Parts: sequence; C-alpha cells; structure tokens
Amino acid sequence: MTTTRPADVTAPAPAPRGGRDRYFDLLRAIALFRVVLYHLMGWAWLPVVFPSMGVMFALAGTLMARSLGSRPAPEVVRGRMRRLLPPLWLLGAVGVSGMLLAGWGPDDEGHPGWWWLHLTFWILPLSDPPYGADLPGVHGLIADGWAVDLAVPLWYLRAYLWFVLLSPLLLRALRAAPWPTVVAPIALSAALESGVVSVTSWRLDSNLSDFGAFGACWLLGMAHQEGVLRRLPRYVVPSLAPGVAGFGLWYALGHGFEAGHDLDDMPFAQSLWSFATVLLLLHLSPSWMDWPRPLRRWDRLVTLLNSRAVTIYLWHNVCIDAVAGLWDRLWGVPGLEEHASWLLVSPWPQLPAVWLLTALCVVCFGWAEDLAARRRPRLWPDGSRNLAQNLSPGRRRR
Amino acid sequence: MPARTNHRSPRRLMPPLRLRRLLPLVLLLAMMAMLMLRGYVHSEILADHRIRAEAPADRVPRQILDGGPVVDTRGGRATSLDVPDHRIVLTFDDGPDPKWTPEVLDVLKKHHAHAVFFITGTMASRYPDLVQRMVDEGHEIGLHTFNHPDLSYQSKRRIDWELTQNQLALEGAAGIRTSLFRPPYSSSADALDNASWPVTRYVGSRGYLTVLTTADSEDWRRPGVRQVIRNATPKAGRGAIVLMHDSGGDRAQTVRALDTYLPGLRKQGYAFQNLTEALEAPSAHTPVTGADLWKGRAWVFLVTTADDLTGVLVVGLAAIGVLVLARFGLMLLLSAVHTRRTRRRGFTRGPDAPVTAPVSVLVPAYNEAKCIENTVRSLMRSEHPIEVVVIDDGSADGTARIVEDLALPGVRVVRQHNAGKPAALNRGIANARHDLIVMMDGDTVFEPATVGELVQPFADPAVGAVAGNAKVGNKDTLIGAWQHIEYVMGFNLDRRMYDVLRCMPTIPGAVGAFRRSALNRVGGMSDDTLAEDTDITMALHRDGWKVVYAEKARAWTEAPESVQQLWSQRYRWCYGTMQAIWKHRRAVVEKGPSGRFGRVGLPLVSLFMVLAPLLAPLIDLFLVYGLLFGPTGRTVAAWFGVLAVQAGCAAYAFVLDRERLTPLISLPLQQILYRQLMYVVLLQSWITALTGGRLRWQKLRRKGQVAAPPGESTVAERSAA
Repeated sequence: MTTTRPADVTAPAPAPRGGRDRYFDLLRAIALFRVVLYHLMGWAWLPVVFPSMGVMFALAGTLMARSLGSRPAPEVVRGRMRRLLPPLWLLGAVGVSGMLLAGWGPDDEGHPGWWWLHLTFWILPLSDPPYGADLPGVHGLIADGWAVDLAVPLWYLRAYLWFVLLSPLLLRALRAAPWPTVVAPIALSAALESGVVSVTSWRLDSNLSDFGAFGACWLLGMAHQEGVLRRLPRYVVPSLAPGVAGFGLWYALGHGFEAGHDLDDMPFAQSLWSFATVLLLLHLSPSWMDWPRPLRRWDRLVTLLNSRAVTIYLWHNVCIDAVAGLWDRLWGVPGLEEHASWLLVSPWPQLPAVWLLTALCVVCFGWAEDLAARRRPRLWPDGSRNLAQNLSPGRRRR
Repeated sequence: MPARTNHRSPRRLMPPLRLRRLLPLVLLLAMMAMLMLRGYVHSEILADHRIRAEAPADRVPRQILDGGPVVDTRGGRATSLDVPDHRIVLTFDDGPDPKWTPEVLDVLKKHHAHAVFFITGTMASRYPDLVQRMVDEGHEIGLHTFNHPDLSYQSKRRIDWELTQNQLALEGAAGIRTSLFRPPYSSSADALDNASWPVTRYVGSRGYLTVLTTADSEDWRRPGVRQVIRNATPKAGRGAIVLMHDSGGDRAQTVRALDTYLPGLRKQGYAFQNLTEALEAPSAHTPVTGADLWKGRAWVFLVTTADDLTGVLVVGLAAIGVLVLARFGLMLLLSAVHTRRTRRRGFTRGPDAPVTAPVSVLVPAYNEAKCIENTVRSLMRSEHPIEVVVIDDGSADGTARIVEDLALPGVRVVRQHNAGKPAALNRGIANARHDLIVMMDGDTVFEPATVGELVQPFADPAVGAVAGNAKVGNKDTLIGAWQHIEYVMGFNLDRRMYDVLRCMPTIPGAVGAFRRSALNRVGGMSDDTLAEDTDITMALHRDGWKVVYAEKARAWTEAPESVQQLWSQRYRWCYGTMQAIWKHRRAVVEKGPSGRFGRVGLPLVSLFMVLAPLLAPLIDLFLVYGLLFGPTGRTVAAWFGVLAVQAGCAAYAFVLDRERLTPLISLPLQQILYRQLMYVVLLQSWITALTGGRLRWQKLRRKGQVAAPPGESTVAERSAA
C-alpha cells in the first residue's frame, strides 16, 4: 500500500519502500514529452535544455539498484527483462509484418542467413534489430522511411537491456569504488572519441559508444540510491557540475553543433552534459511522496505517462510518420495551399495530432506493459480509479 | 567585506527594500546598454566583413556599364551622368576620422576646393563636429552606409536599415539629409555586376543617386605621393570623380598629395567642385527640422555619451584591477609578517603574560531559545576562569527561562525590556564583575580554549580590545561554503593586515574581548549606527588603544542560510560600516592617535570596504561585453587569471587557518553568483546613504532607545534558519 508520509531526509534511502517518488515521476514524464517533441521538431537545442535519455537511464538505474538491494540478482534481472521485452515484441509483430508486406525480405542485405539471425534481435535486442531501410510509405497513411523511424528508438531498449544485464556487476564495482566507477564510462567515451580505443564492428561500436554516453547516468542513478551522493558536502555538486556541463557544451560547440548534428551524434559531449545535468537533478532530488500543490493538477497526466512510458516511447515515432503522411494529404485540399500554407509547413499543428495518435497507441498496445508486469490489462491507467493499486511499485513488481 | 557577526535585523527600521534593490540593477543595465551601443558604433557588433568576388555582368544594362559614374535609377530609370570636362569632383570615403579629416579639410580650404564626403554612420555618430564642419565649408555629404558591409550580401531590410541609420547620424550631426549614396567596395560604373546592380536599382528606388568613380587614387595602398597624384589625374582635360579616403589608416600621403595636386590641376584649368555644383544641379542636401532633427541629435548624444562613458569605465576597470591586485599583494605580505611575528618561538604578548585574570563573558540574547543552551554549555567547558552574564533583551520565547533552568554555576541572567543590542551590552558591562570582558552572540559556540586565547593579548597594557576568529559552523551548503571562504579570508588575511597596519575596523560581535577601562573611556556601546561593533572599534582606535587579532580564539557561528537573510545581514553591516566611517570622519583632522587612525586607518578602510567594491561590477560588465563581442579568448584568460590569484590567496588563508581546501571548489561559482550579490548590497547601501540615510539615522537614534533592537527576529525567521 502507498504510505503518504513526509520525506525523511535523514534516512539513508531516498524513498521509503512502498512509496513512489513523484519527483522522479515528473522527471520521467518531462523526459518522455521532450523526446516526442524533439522527434517532431528536430531542434538541436532541445536535448541540451533537457537531456531526456540520460535522465531516463538515471531513473532506471535508481530503481535497479533499489531492487538489487533487496532481492537476488538473477531474479531482478529476469524481472526487468520480462517487463521490458513484451512491448517490444508487440511492436516487432506489427512492425516486421508491415515491413514484410511492404516487400522487405531475407535477400535485401545479400546474406539471407545473417538476416534470419539478426531477426532474433527483435526478440532479444542485444544489438540493434534490423529493419527495411528504404521501404515506400503508403500514400496518405504513412510517409516514406517509416520503417527507419520505427527502428530509431530501439537503441534505447538495446542499451537498457545491456545496463540491466551488467547491473549486478556495476553495483558491486560501485560499492567497492564509487566515484571511479561512476566516471569510468566518461573515460571510455573520451577514449573512443580520441581514437585511443576503436572497434571496427559497428554493432560493438554502437554498444560501447552508448555505454560511454549514458553509463555514467545509469551509475549516478545507482549511486543516488546507494547514498553515495548524500555523503558529499552539499556544495560539491553545484560547484563542479556547471564546470563539467560547460566543458561538454564547449566541446559540442567546437565540433560542429547544429541542427541535424546535435548532442545525440556527439557521445563524448553527450556523456559530459548528461552526467552534469543528471548530477544536478539528483542533487536537488526533493523526494516528493506527495505532489507539491502547484503540480497536483498534473498528477493524472504524469501517472499515465509513467505507466505507459515504454509504449509511448516505442510507438510515438511511427505516430509522427503517420501524422506526416496525413499532413501531406492536406496539400490536396483546395484553398489550403494558397491561403494557409503556413499551416501545412509548420510542425506545431501536428503536435496535438501526434499526441492524439500516440494516445490511440496507448489504448491499442499499452496492455502489453500490464501483461509484462503480470497485472490485469487496463486501457487508460492514469491512476484516477484505484490509486493504491496502480501506484505501488512493490505491488507491480510481484 | 570581512566577516563579523550575526546580529538580527531591526525590521521595522529597514527601508522598503524592493525599490532600492531595483535601482542598482537598473544602473548596471544602463551601463551595459551604453557599452552595447559603443560596441555597435565601433562595429564590434553586427559587423560583416565579407566582400563578394567579381560576378558576371550580363544582367547590367549596356548603357550603364559604358556610361558615366553617377547612376540614376530613381523611379525605375537606368541612366547615368558624366562630369563635364575640366571639372573634378573629389570624393573622400569612410570618414570622418578625428585625425585625418581635419587635415584634409584644411588642405581643401587652403586651395578653395569643394569635395564630396561619403561618411559612414558609425564614424559620423562619433565625430559629429567634423560633419558639421564639412557642410559649413561648402562640401557635400553622401551616405556610405552605417557600418560598411558589402550590400550585395544583405537583405533589403538591412539595406534600408543601413541607409536610415546613416541618415539619422547625419541629421544629428549636421541637421541635413542627403540624396547621394556610394556603396561600400564599389569602383567605376563598368565594374557593376549582377550582384551589385540589384542593390543599385533598389537604392535608386529609395530616392538616392549612386555615385561611383572614374579615377581611383588608390591612396589606401599608400603607393607614394607621386603615384597618388598620377592615379588621380584624368586624361586630357576630361571631367572626373576621383576616389580618395580620409579614414581607415594613415592618410598622410593623401593630404600631401592634395597639397600638390590641387594647385597643379587648377593650373591646367580644372575646377574642384562638389557634385551638384559640377553637374549644375540643385544641392543634394535638404535641411531637416522638428522630430527628425531631435531624433538625430538624441542619437548622436547617446553615442558620444556612450563613448565618453566607456572611456571612464575603462579607467575604472584599470583602477579596480590595480586596487584588487594591490590589496591581495598587501594582504599576503602583511599576513605573512603577522603570522611570522605571532608564531615565532618565545613570542609573548607583553609584560603581563600569561594573562590568568578571570573574565566576564557577556551573552546578549534576543529570542535565542534554540541556540542559547549550546552557547552557554560550550562556555562551561572553558579552560579559563569565567563568569557568564546572559542579558535577555526582552525575548518572547523564554530564552531567559531556559538558561535559568540549566542552573549552571557561574551563569547569571539579567533581564531587561527590549532595548536593543548596544543597550543589552551596556547593561552586561554594568553587571560584569571582572575587568576583562568578552562579548559573544547568543548563537555562537566557543571552544574550551577560546576565552583564554582571546584575552592573552591583554598582557600588553596598550591593547584595548581583541578580535577573535569567527568561523562558519554550517558550511555544508553552497551558500554556507561561500561564506566560509569569505570568513576564512576575512579573518586570516584582512584582519592580520589590519592588525599590522593598526587599523582593525571591526571587533566581531561573535567573538571579541575588551578592557573595561577602555570601554569606560569611550562611553560603552552606542546605538548611533547599525554596526555598533565597528563603531566601538573605531572609537577605541581614536582613544589610542591597540586593537589586535587573536587567531587561535575560534568561535563557531551560524551563517545565514537563505539569500534573503544574507541580504539583510550584509545590508546592515555595509550600511552600518558607512555610518561608522561617517560618524568618525572628524578623526581625519585631529591630532594624536585619533589623527593617526583618521589619516591611515579610515582612508584605508573606506577604500577597501566601501569605495573599491563600488567598481567591482565593472569586472562583470566587461566580462559579459568581452565574451559577446570582444576578444573572447583574452577576456576568458583574464577572468581565469584573476580567479587564479584569488584562489591562491584563499588557499593561503586556508592553510594559515589549517582548514581543508575542498570548499575552495565553490570559488568559481562564487565569482559568478555571490560576489554580485555583495556589490549590489553595497550599491544599495550607497543609495540609501546618499538619498535618505541621514534622516533614517536620526530616526533610528530616537527610536533605538525604546523599541528598536538590532537582535530582533521573529521565531519564524529563526526556525527557517
């Protein structure tokens, strides 16, 4: 059951078991909203304003460390994978069928054997799952290149899976040598960036580079849960983090930062900027067991975004493509092109449409998350009906 | 600002802060705006140095390419005019220049020649008098854009802006508009191309004649006087528009060439006229009146003011730079001297050493229920014989009762109606039994050795008072760490320096010791100022007493933890210090020890504590300016240089105090966030002092007797701390 007692700042663990830290929920919701906005708008500065991916990994790291603290590692890892994979399988079932229908097949890469093998990455994404690179769209329904966009967000699941698999090891290292462990991924990123370390296989390279970029965030999340941050004097983080962030930003600006070449394409700058931002956010970490009054009105939205995070993340990019296809149709509407071409060019009016379609996906595909959590499937889990049942993570996990 | 003590705010006497807080910010913003304006007219902002390479010319009409240098594209026309034979129109581009334009004008005047000056808006705005002189001496003015970009790269809006802004400067400088225009980087008509022709047509549609050249003197290359003359001389009596420059570098050759060229060609039958004279057309100038004229004048006034102001600010920056470095140098030197002196083996304070006489410790307390027990209990562990007198200044939270209930031996409680901290201290002095008196705050904790260390300097009978070493107890947060750095530097560098110079401005209220006879001679504590601790210290100096620093007498005090509390604390210190300096100003002209303090100590304290910090905002002003427009690399390097000096001094202070160095990592951020807060507080104190300070001071004196304690704070404020 959810206990609503005030946050106890002197307790070693930030959130008492059974409670849900609404601050983290808010961060996750903002991160998710920012990801969708960024994929629609493509503004290079958006990941700078809020490095969503780093924040999401950090939050996941916190939860992972919390679980590992109370249950045996194999059980925790299995549980995490069980929660993560079914929504992916559902996307794969729909997506891969679509690609096959559009004409994708074993011969597209010239190595049918490899194609079949790689297809297993849709089941266990140890590396990026394959997709049809230049499949045509369906006119008026979905734009060209939809399969690419469908596959774009999958790197996150791949990276997440690896972090989960490595977590027992990471936690042990963290306990033995906290700060060297947290900083190690940044060092890896620097080594990759400078060319000291280089690998030829792109599959290995993308794994390493994502680990370098976001590993520090995951570890920071674990360190936060372990109370490593709490042991520092309070002035340390705000004194150092701006310097690290400034260095990351300076590095990015000096290496061709622009629209289309932003932090996501610069793992080293990303690692520094995300690390610093996450460090500051975790430093602030007010541990809300209850919403502060001004935020209370967002409760249901945030709850919904949190309980359907994976679904929204997996499906939103397809929704953006579908809306783009729909918008292309508007050019055919007489008069619109002459009198309201701004409407057709601007991405802003597409934003509500994208969210509408994403909401539809939540209704259609969200149940997979409930199944994965061994819960009764729900259509619209915004916490309005049965708060205690929906919100307790302890309950969801068992 | 050296650190002192936490006396609480007499709230109802504080002026309404919001407006006064706004004013310093407005002042800073205004200065920043002026700097921006200066950067803008000095082409450090918005400057565009691209020049287009030659382009094909197939879209330029034939008759223009083959035609004369004056191109008329007004109202959709495309015609050109030539200068009649035996007439030369001299044109000077890019001016006015403060050095060369007057020389060019002198030469032209000497030879009775008229010319056309194509001025840029930036230069005209800065040297309006020269433009006026050109017009007065019969020359014609043409536009050469505001800050000289290649217009073929610019949008129509930017071209419009360049022209309008250029006219505005001209209106302000000479009260006229002109219809002549020469595009930057232009030459003769046959050099027009597909890139520059549309610009020419557009400018024509705005009503301007485009004036190109027939002969380029190429004087900007400085090819020698003869070559300039050769380049500028047209063939066989033909008319010409000759291009020269009166700005943009050394123009000595141009001036000398003119001196030969003008009489030489006049002998060949040439007349030197301005353009409309040569073309026998009506003047290109139209006088402006009314709003346009005033707009122009306002613009020119702003620009010249900004230029002057910048000059002043640069001098100010240099001054603050020298002051800061000199102060650091002096501090390092003198604190090293002080440390060597006091840590020498066999060092004794004076003939009466060691001091073992019992001491009275005064603890004035107002609503200190939370801290008072810790305070008193820490005194109980004192290694030196003491009696403790807690003076309860009319607390409402049972502070006195708490102390009484402790029932500790040697602790007395004296109650009084709320009358303020100075009154409480005076009452304590009256009740104290011993001749050595230690004063501390109700929220401060002493170490067992503190009292003993604090009174050792009284071994020297000339010592009237001793300042202890106040340290921040709550340094875990950022704001705490910043104050910690400030305190450690304030006590280990500033106070050692002041000790050696014998002009210690303040005995901290948190930890200080006094000789009763000294206190009696200066009449005890006074509530004339908001900083009674500074006031009494200055009074002791004037009475000829030595005031020294005892580094080992450590007291742990609670620093403000919110910006709001910190602000009002610092405002009180700052304004109180100014009041105290003003109160003791007469010392400057007095004789004896008072005069010595007045002529050495007081100026030094005023310089370091209230004058130099006034210039501190310049550092940030020029930092922002330099980052945005200036030499960015050098600005950043200079900033880090100053930071390094500061870090070095801070590290030295920390080592002297045997403190861990880790809090110093918050030093860079302190330079960006905390220092500004401090000088805005100082500016605010200045404004209070200059506007209503005297009045408030008198009001304070009158009210202070009845119900205005420094030391007043609500329970809520306390629990927030």
